[in-house]
This record gives sequence, structure tokens and C-alpha cells, in this order.
Amino acid sequence: MTPIKTLAIGATLLGSTAMPAFAESHATEMHVIMCGDEVFPADQVVIDEFVATHDGVTVNLESVPWSNCQDKSLTLAAAGDPPSLAYMGSRTLRQLATNDLIVPVTFTQEQMDAFQPGVLKTVTYDGQQWGLPHAFSTKALYLNCDLIEAAGATCEAPATWDDMMALAQQVVDNTDAAGIGVAGKDFDNTMHQFLNYLYSNGGQVIADDGSVALDSPETRETLEFYASLVSVAQEGVLEWERDAMVDLFNDGQIAMYINGPWGWGRHNEEINQMVVPVPAGPSGVSGTLLITDSIVVFNGSGHEDLALELASAMTSGQAQYELDNSWGLTPILQYEKLGFSDLFYEADPAHWANFISSIPTGGPEPLITDYRSLQAVFVNMIQGAILEEDSIDNLVSIAAEELADAL
Amino acid sequence: MIRQCCRWLAVALWGLFLTETAQAASPIRPTETVRRKVLPEAWFAWLLLTPAMVFIAVIIAWPLVETIRLSFTDADLGGESYVGVANYVDLMESRRFRQTVTTTFYWMFLSVGLKLILGLIGACLLNAAVPGRAVFRMLVMPPWVIPIAIGVIGWLWMYNGYFGLLSGMGQRIGLFDGPYAFLAGRTSAFYSAVVTDVWVGTPMITLFFLAAMQGVNRDLYEAAWVDGAGRWYRFRRITIPQIMPVIVSMALLSAIWTFNSFDIIFILTQGGPRGATTTLIIDTYKVAIGNFKFGEGAARAVVIVVLLATFSALYLFLLNKVNKTYGVK
Repeated sequence: MTPIKTLAIGATLLGSTAMPAFAESHATEMHVIMCGDEVFPADQVVIDEFVATHDGVTVNLESVPWSNCQDKSLTLAAAGDPPSLAYMGSRTLRQLATNDLIVPVTFTQEQMDAFQPGVLKTVTYDGQQWGLPHAFSTKALYLNCDLIEAAGATCEAPATWDDMMALAQQVVDNTDAAGIGVAGKDFDNTMHQFLNYLYSNGGQVIADDGSVALDSPETRETLEFYASLVSVAQEGVLEWERDAMVDLFNDGQIAMYINGPWGWGRHNEEINQMVVPVPAGPSGVSGTLLITDSIVVFNGSGHEDLALELASAMTSGQAQYELDNSWGLTPILQYEKLGFSDLFYEADPAHWANFISSIPTGGPEPLITDYRSLQAVFVNMIQGAILEEDSIDNLVSIAAEELADAL
Repeated sequence: MIRQCCRWLAVALWGLFLTETAQAASPIRPTETVRRKVLPEAWFAWLLLTPAMVFIAVIIAWPLVETIRLSFTDADLGGESYVGVANYVDLMESRRFRQTVTTTFYWMFLSVGLKLILGLIGACLLNAAVPGRAVFRMLVMPPWVIPIAIGVIGWLWMYNGYFGLLSGMGQRIGLFDGPYAFLAGRTSAFYSAVVTDVWVGTPMITLFFLAAMQGVNRDLYEAAWVDGAGRWYRFRRITIPQIMPVIVSMALLSAIWTFNSFDIIFILTQGGPRGATTTLIIDTYKVAIGNFKFGEGAARAVVIVVLLATFSALYLFLLNKVNKTYGVK
């Protein structure tokens, strides 16, 4: 074959593969990344409607497991090929905003009023909102009443840390089970579990003026208490994270542990379970960690307005309600204010009260520029206390300094 | 897409050019004389070498140079600026980093040492004339053949205090009073990771040693046996010297692999608890990829390269001396 012929054939083949690409370039393809193992039907419905009502718009929807989803979104954005929008943890927002990778979001006063108290704090940095909150969770204490009663105790809500400790000790003394499940693994929800206690003890991580407020007597009390729980907790606390404790609870190995509202549905039906607010510490009242995941719109996709429109549609009242209801999440909006009736959380008020009543006294997951360091700082402090490698004073002081560096 | 098309076109043109040039150099081409005049022999040699040189430049040289350049910057998600040797100064002053270096070398020497000893024992056993030897040789392979992630996840389950095989067996034989979480303690997590690494790495070393042992001349053993040499003497004075080059080579390769071993530690402990299993490669990953501090991560990567290069040079020097001692050329 002569070079001319080879070149001609090659050019034809290349041209035929390139033509569809040129044709596609006239359409708008939105790249949407959803962190999690699946796309929830409530979101899929909104996206399908959006595509149907916008000519020439297609959505490349990608579901990425949490373990590497946020890294993927950030890396794509840093490499100059950002997704149009992504559903990810709100804790990443400050880092994204600081590096000008996402666009700010503006809510009307009416929209802001509709959110549960504290929700907007989880997406606000420097007086500006940077994401549309899309999933909200608060935490409460689950009790295995069968185990507690087998230990000779009455299955009722421990009001304080002392009550909880005494109950856990009674379970340890009178059964083969551990009193409480404690998370200590190098994992984000170890920090989350700790923050549930910290916010129930009047503690803070970031003060209202934006400075680090971790170095406080409340934090020291909380860390000391958290470490003391190890004596009544499951064996090998440092290898456990919260979600794995569902198995321990179902297996009758622990009498109590803290989880979100979805925990109820994951427990064995034969377990006589009860859910109660997180007990109050000596310096505070019962509280919870307010944690959200948000939809963020990335800078540089070329169709930011369109992405913002889709994000707004996914987080609008009806669509958001469908998601909260189907997923069993703490309601992110005060739906009664939006005129909704027959609310799912009103059908079982005793259960949902434990997750909603503590919202006003809860605290947000802190927004830190280097959000990975946030987890590392807390886990290091908690593991140090559990392993008794340093004094509580030192551990808290070091953590506060490291947090200030990462701020 | 356009960029991709351009790339494909460039590759196609390059391929075409090379094909035509190679045909020109082929001895069976009738136009050989004419084509050779077009392209001198030295140029043709360089032309053939060019793809390999470009490949090495792109795959090895450019990333290395880029990593070294990045290590002098504070590159992160927001951009980069030159910071001189600040990243290296921070590393030298960091107690945590020095601890990580110590952990890495301890991890490497312990793991490689165990792999070599077990590999040598395994190879001797597999080399023995016993019935069903082929079956035993096959049974050695699974840890090496199974994808590392799957094998390590299996170990992760076995190490679990409540649902794990090891803890259960330990309780049954009275070794533990209750559930024992292997990955929850600093010391136990470190040695558990070493055990898993040895499990993964030993089979390959065993097979290499076995192959080397089978290459030893039988006459040497027979002559020694006739002279009254015992088993241990024959092993020490014939087998070991004869397979020494393989032992040293495997030790060096295994040391580099173990030094850079990432997946085993990351799946088991993510470097915890409290940094007890954090080696340099885990630390580099966490800083560069986890925290998006590319500049600081690059400085760590450069330190790894320097340490491994120094270690390799030292090792080769020792190898030379050892070979001379054992009379191996």
C-alpha cells in the first residue's frame, strides 16, 4: 500500500470518528456527579424532567462511591475539567470556595427561612452560601431494650452522661455484651460521633467570629468522657466506625450507640429498640451534630446557570421532600411552613422528635479550608486519648493549634 | 475530541513513517541501495531508538523532573508559587516525619527479612524429593495469584475482634479472654500488617529460590556427600553460595517493593492507629492526594527516591562484596 493510500484511508477513518464529536459539540452535556452508591429515584425524576424540558441538554449522570467521590470531583475541577455540578459533603465547600472552584449560591429570604435551624451554617463561609443543602442528618442514641432489661435495668432515656455511663456499666457487669458502641477508627464518623458529645456539652469547634474555639474546658470534658467510654465499649474501639456498629447492635454485642434516623430501619425487627436524644454533658444540654451534603455548582463548566437551575430543581420543596421521605432523612426544610401536609415525620412523632428536637441546640460540621485535616486532627486527638498516649490537656491544645493551621 | 483526533493522527503518521523507513532498511527490499542513500545508517539507528527514548522521557524523566520542580512549590488546588527548600526544611524539622521514616525502614527490614527466611525454608521443602511435590508447589501460589485487594480484605475480616477467625480461634484455645481486635492496637496493627505483607510476598520469593536451587549442579552435592559432608554443611557451603546472586537480587527487589507497599497497609489500617502503620508512601499519598498539598507531597516523593537510590547503591556495593566472598562472578 502506498503512503498516499494509507494516509487517505487513515484520514477517512479519523474523520468518521471525529464527525459525531463535532455534532455533539453543539449540544450541552452536563456532567453530574452524585456521591454515594446509587442515584436516588427522587433525584432521577427531577433530572429526567429537566432533560425533557430543555432542548439540546443531556445529563451524564455518574454515581461514585463516597470513598473516592469527593477526591474525584476536586481533582477534575483542579485539572480544569470540572463537573457541572456534584452532590458531595458540605465540609468540602470552604476548600472549593477558597480555590474559586465553585460558584456562590443566593437564597431568597423565604428560602432561607424554610430551612431547619443551623442547616445554612453548614454551607456558609465568609457570609456567603456555597452549596444547596440536599441531605440532612441529626443523631440520637439507640437502645437495645432486650439487653438493658436483661442487665436488670429499666429501658429509659439516660438524661446525662453519668446516667448513660451507669447504664452501660450495668450492661457490662450483668451480660456478655458491651454497654455502648464507640467509634475510634481513622474515619470521618469517628469525628462525627465525638462532635455529637461535644455539642451536647456546650462545646464549639469554630466560634461565631470564625476563629477556632476547640481549646476549651468543654472539649476537655468531652474528650475525657469519650475516652472513659472505652471501659464499657466493645473490644478494639479503634477498629470500629459507626456504620459497622449496626452489625454489633443487631448481633446483641452492644446495648447502645449513636446513629442517624436511618438506623431504625437497619436494625433487626426482633430487637426491642428505643431511640432517645443524645444525653447531655455536665456543661451543656442535649444536642447533635448537624451535618449536610450539598449540591455544588462548579466554576468553568461553561453552563453554570443551567447547572444552578438543575440544582435548584433538585432541592426544591417537593423534590426535596420526596428525597427526605424515601431515604428516611431528618427533614431539611420545615415543610409545614411551605404548606405541606401529611408529613412523614408527623406520622411517628415520638421517633422523629428525637432527631428534630435537638436541632436548635446542635452544632454544624465545621467548615475548614483543608477539610481532610479536620478529620485527621480530630481522629488523632481521639485516638491519642483512647490509647492514653498524651494528657487530655495536651491533646486538645495540639488539636486546636493544628485546626487553626488548617483553617 | 479534537485533541484526541490530533493525537491519533500524529500516531498514525509516525507509524506510517517508521513502517516506510523500516521497509527501506529491510534486506529483502529490492530498492535497498537507493533507500540507504536517503537515510544514513547512524541516523536510522537513532530513528529506531527515538520511540524508546521518547517513551522513557515521557514515562520516567518528565514525571521525575516535574515532581522535583513541584517539591519547590506550595502547589495545591488553588495554584502554586515557588517556596524554595521550605518543604524540605519542614520535613527535616518534623518529628512525625522522622518517626514515619523510622517506621518505614523497620517495616521494610522486618518484612523482607521474614520473606527471605520463609522463602528459603519453603524453597528447601519444595525442592525435597517428596511425593506430591507438584501439588505443594501449586499450593504455594494462591497468595501471590489472588488480587492483593481481595486477599487483604480477607485478612481484614480475619483480624476483626468480634467476627474474625483469628480472634475466634484464639478464644477457643484460651489465648484470649474475649474478642481481640488485632488492628486496634499500635503494636498489634503494625505486626498484623507485616504478617499480611509476608503472606503476599513470600510465594514469589519461594519460587525464585526454588528455581535457583534446581539450577545447582548435582555433582557438587554428590562430591560433598562422598566426602562425608552433612545436610546442613551442604546447604551452607553449596546451596547458599550457589543461589546467593538470586538471594541478593530478590532481597533488593523485595526491599523496594516493600518500601513502596501501599495497598496492604491502606486497606488494613489506612496508616493508623495514630500513625503506627504510616510508612512514607502512605504519608505521601495522604498529603499529596488526600489533602491536595501537591508541593509537600512531591517533597516527600523526592525523599523516597533519594532514600531508595541510596539504599540501592549501598545494597549493590554489599552485593559485590558478598559475591566476591562467595566466589560468585
